[in-house]
Amino acid sequence: MNFTFNFKWFFSVVFAIAIQVLFLRDIAIANVAFCFIYTWFLVKAPMQINPLLLLLGAMSVGWLIDIFYNTHGMHAFACVLVAWLRPVYFRILTPANGYDERSSISLAEMKWLWFFPYLFLMLMSHHLLLFILEAGDWTLIGFSVLKALSSTLLGMAVFGILEFFNRPE
Amino acid sequence: MIQLFQFLARQRVILLLLLLELVNVWAVFKYNAYQHTLYFNTTNQWAASILATTQEVKTYHQLRIVNGTLAQENAQLRTELLRLKSQQQPLTKLPYYVSEAMLNRYQAVASRVIDQSTRMSQNYLTIDKGRSDGILPGMAVISSTGIVGKVMSCTDNLALVVSVLHTSNSVSAKLKRSGELGYIKWPGYQSEVADMMDVSKYKKVVKGDTVVTSDYNAVFPPNIPIGIVAKVGLEKDDTFHDIKVMLFTQFATLQYVYVIKNRLAGQQAQLETTKPKSE
Repeated sequence: MNFTFNFKWFFSVVFAIAIQVLFLRDIAIANVAFCFIYTWFLVKAPMQINPLLLLLGAMSVGWLIDIFYNTHGMHAFACVLVAWLRPVYFRILTPANGYDERSSISLAEMKWLWFFPYLFLMLMSHHLLLFILEAGDWTLIGFSVLKALSSTLLGMAVFGILEFFNRPE
Repeated sequence: MIQLFQFLARQRVILLLLLLELVNVWAVFKYNAYQHTLYFNTTNQWAASILATTQEVKTYHQLRIVNGTLAQENAQLRTELLRLKSQQQPLTKLPYYVSEAMLNRYQAVASRVIDQSTRMSQNYLTIDKGRSDGILPGMAVISSTGIVGKVMSCTDNLALVVSVLHTSNSVSAKLKRSGELGYIKWPGYQSEVADMMDVSKYKKVVKGDTVVTSDYNAVFPPNIPIGIVAKVGLEKDDTFHDIKVMLFTQFATLQYVYVIKNRLAGQQAQLETTKPKSE
């Protein structure tokens, strides 16, 4: 976790938010699969990051997205809760020989058997919270779950492809 | 006291989580309520300017479709004009006449959509006319093909519109052919289809009937097209038809809308306050 890594991470976050707000905002596949690429910052945040810092970061990014989506607090709510759940998921998914002290979260380093379940848990909890909150209506629960599930699968595909291109030489 | 601080320090993560989530829940319930949307939304100046730029790029790519709609609208206006001209003669022979004020009751203000959503469960539009153009909350918004929604709040130069694609925005409607009354309500998914409720099953409804706004509508002028009946069924053990209406307005490519100012709205409201109140 040196300076250059943080620098790169920070710009990737800004870039992901810009793409989300400018291009992905109005795109949905078959009306059910949405791509929330800005969750990248939550997924890829360094493992040893200060949890307080991550919570505050999740809050500000979520709030920013909310301003553009007209959803006032919904994205922020989902982000903050997922940021808090992240260490819990780490504990659930602990590999047999534990985590390496310096391990970062990437497909190359963690292998797909760890990476994809982790991605599924992160994205599914975020999307489920978001869509239920956004619908604000329990009669739409089935549709919300469908949207969350399809968006999660889309997200896993997108992040998988990103990781594939992001392999260290 | 020291123990209290130690406790706070130990539990700082969960306390921060609770604090932030409280703020978020407050925001969700405060800013998503009808009248409280002015501050943190796309009418916000800088967010609006960024969105306006993106919309500009999209506008360029959709010029052909927009031109088509405009041409269609011109044609429609022309036919309307001809029809009115031909009606003039018989009208003067009737003892009933329409006052000038009543004739010029509605005025349309064309305005551009700078932001909108169609795929959420509650959808809104932001348009580029506001209070300085005479727009006020509660005014009707229509497109060249059908109804769009109603103005919810406005700043000096922008206004936020609750779309018809909003589960709690219902519109009083009638079937054009039979005059049967009901109301239009969006079920929360599929931006092309809405439900028409409250039409008794003993009335005849045919697939292909046109649905327009009713005469008793508080927001919209009468006879604004809404959509076409796409499917008629009976609700299970119910007394009403289950009618699916294909909306005329293409929300996905919507770029220009008309806000309808009602010049007599003030007078009407004033009159209605003089109704004797029941004790």
